[in-house]
Amino acid sequence: MLVELMALVKKELQQTFADKRIVAVLVVLPVIQIIVLGFAVHLEVDNVPTLVADEDHTPQSREFVAGLLAGDAFTRVGALPHGEDALGALQRGEASLVAVIPPGFAQHLTRGEPAAVQFLVDGTDSNRAIVAQNAAVSYAIGQSLQQMRARVAALAQQRGQPVALHTLRVEPRVLYNPQLVSALFYVPGVAASLLFIVTFIITAMGLAREKETGTLEQILVTPLTSATLILGKTLPYAGIGLVVLGLVVAAGAWIFGVPVRGSLLLIFGAGALYLLAVLGSGLLVSAAVQNQQQALMMGFFLLLPALLLSGFMTPVENMPAWLQPLTMLNPVRHFVEIMRAVLLKSATAADVASQLLALALLGLAMFGAASWVVRRRLA
Amino acid sequence: MSTPPIIEVRDLSKRFGSFQAVNKVSFHVERGEIFGYLGANGAGKSTTIRMLTGLLAPSSGSATVAGADIASEPTRVKRAIGYMSQRFSLYLDLSVEENLRFFAGAYGLSGAHRERRVHAALELAGLHDRRRVTTRDLPGGIRQRLALGSALLHEPAIVFLDEPTAGVDPAARRGFWRVIRDLAAQGTTVFVTTHHLDEAEYCARVGLMVDGRLVALDTPQGLKTAHVPGSLYAVESPEGTRAAAALLTDAPGVLAVEPFGQRLHVRVQGSADPLRFQNLLTSRGVLGATFEPVEPTLEDVFLALVGDAGKATP
Repeated sequence: MLVELMALVKKELQQTFADKRIVAVLVVLPVIQIIVLGFAVHLEVDNVPTLVADEDHTPQSREFVAGLLAGDAFTRVGALPHGEDALGALQRGEASLVAVIPPGFAQHLTRGEPAAVQFLVDGTDSNRAIVAQNAAVSYAIGQSLQQMRARVAALAQQRGQPVALHTLRVEPRVLYNPQLVSALFYVPGVAASLLFIVTFIITAMGLAREKETGTLEQILVTPLTSATLILGKTLPYAGIGLVVLGLVVAAGAWIFGVPVRGSLLLIFGAGALYLLAVLGSGLLVSAAVQNQQQALMMGFFLLLPALLLSGFMTPVENMPAWLQPLTMLNPVRHFVEIMRAVLLKSATAADVASQLLALALLGLAMFGAASWVVRRRLA
Repeated sequence: MSTPPIIEVRDLSKRFGSFQAVNKVSFHVERGEIFGYLGANGAGKSTTIRMLTGLLAPSSGSATVAGADIASEPTRVKRAIGYMSQRFSLYLDLSVEENLRFFAGAYGLSGAHRERRVHAALELAGLHDRRRVTTRDLPGGIRQRLALGSALLHEPAIVFLDEPTAGVDPAARRGFWRVIRDLAAQGTTVFVTTHHLDEAEYCARVGLMVDGRLVALDTPQGLKTAHVPGSLYAVESPEGTRAAAALLTDAPGVLAVEPFGQRLHVRVQGSADPLRFQNLLTSRGVLGATFEPVEPTLEDVFLALVGDAGKATP
């Protein structure tokens, strides 16, 4: 049993490393991808192109606009003479936000009447729209508050006694990622998804290639048991997968400063469980298909839902209620959660026990199913 | 022979949907014999081999290989056999040595024993100096010998060779058969399929498959006496053989006329004098035809049997 298994593992590794392209796919691509994705995927919204339609033309209106554009959030790309032009400008994509200050803005303010300001936001990129809208509105609220303070101060002076203004003081404190750097959120997720892509596709292709070239037949006339065959077809890639995991964590730490606050041992242990589930499903696919092309098609077909339903891009909590339980069956989801928790929050095995359990169960189920199918198909 | 047959096949059948690939085939193979399995493409040769090697489950019937039942003891069967498939099925992306080491390992060989067997396989393929060459870079004939060496790594009692010489040039084919005969001489049983009828002459016994059925099984000589009665003449004519063939087919005393390369093979009743037919041709204007007595080949047997099978229907 051991002799046979060693022979198979050695052969798989020889074949893998004989093909320089596979080595590139396994080792170089993940690192390049994590760099590209880490830089390209930005959750922060800043420099929103902004047009200003100031119809009031007063010092107050200019001051209001200057304040809005002062931070990084908005960048002035031009001015519109009339508010009516705003829709056209958004339509043509000249800006993502238009601030319209109607005539009488300053007059209303000095009279102590409500002064209106309009923000028009391009909602095609919903995430960006929400962030831009929040930034604009909170600026406006801040301005209102300032106006109110000024009026209260004036009132106090008039009366000759202080007037209390009761407001709430909100002090948000962000933990684990205080600067809200997107990379810290994304890199652990990218690592989980890369591991999935690399190992899933390679295993799915492996058995399919042997079917296609006829070598599987030659293996099947040897006394190799299906258990040996399955182990031999997965162990080498589990090993390679763990190496890739190490590379990706190292690249994330080195390039993006993703901290490794928790235990590396826990990361690799969880990685091993995760690989069990991924390799099992890869094997299942390869037993079901006839050739490498089908394996690749099937791989990509499963890849997209596995990644999108993992919470790696968008939180699982935001998905429709009926879809959320389904994500429990997705190994990527559990591993992404473990990666984030362990890397950023120094979570312990007890903290992520439920995810670890889920991975173990999924792994056993996938592997069990794969063994059953391979045994039935081949024997 | 007092030892029991090494392969025993009883009513073995395989059906793919509505297609009967192998139809109630029964035969046995003696230990150390070269057993030839002949037939056209699609006659059921490979399907039979695939059932005997455990790659395919029979639809009905049974067989024992090296004393083990193919349905209930597949692992025992696999330990006893070597198999060389019709397609070259070693790893093209691995070196000669890596291939041999892997398959030796898959048969559970290790250490010095494995090295000894890998060495023997390299010897057989004549690839000692090229053991690190990638298999893809080897020419066809050498690949076949490597595949054979690989199939013999675990010193199986029986080796199944499915069309081992398909696509191999004649010189390499002859060399390959020398190896097969040496093997049989050392006691290995060889079960070989081929559609080169000349190769079947090397076999101790030959089974002939037509449309999934085993229609004949005997020694090459026995097949010839049984299925090619009378005397056989090779007829050559300077004006081509078409006119001669037409005349001879209807002549009394002629049993069969088959085109055979540039010549005709004419089978006549045992006592008939060839001079009589030569005169017949001359009188009808076909001049200079020569009649030369020839030994029947398995090709004549094949033509006689397939012809019979064709005639049975109308």
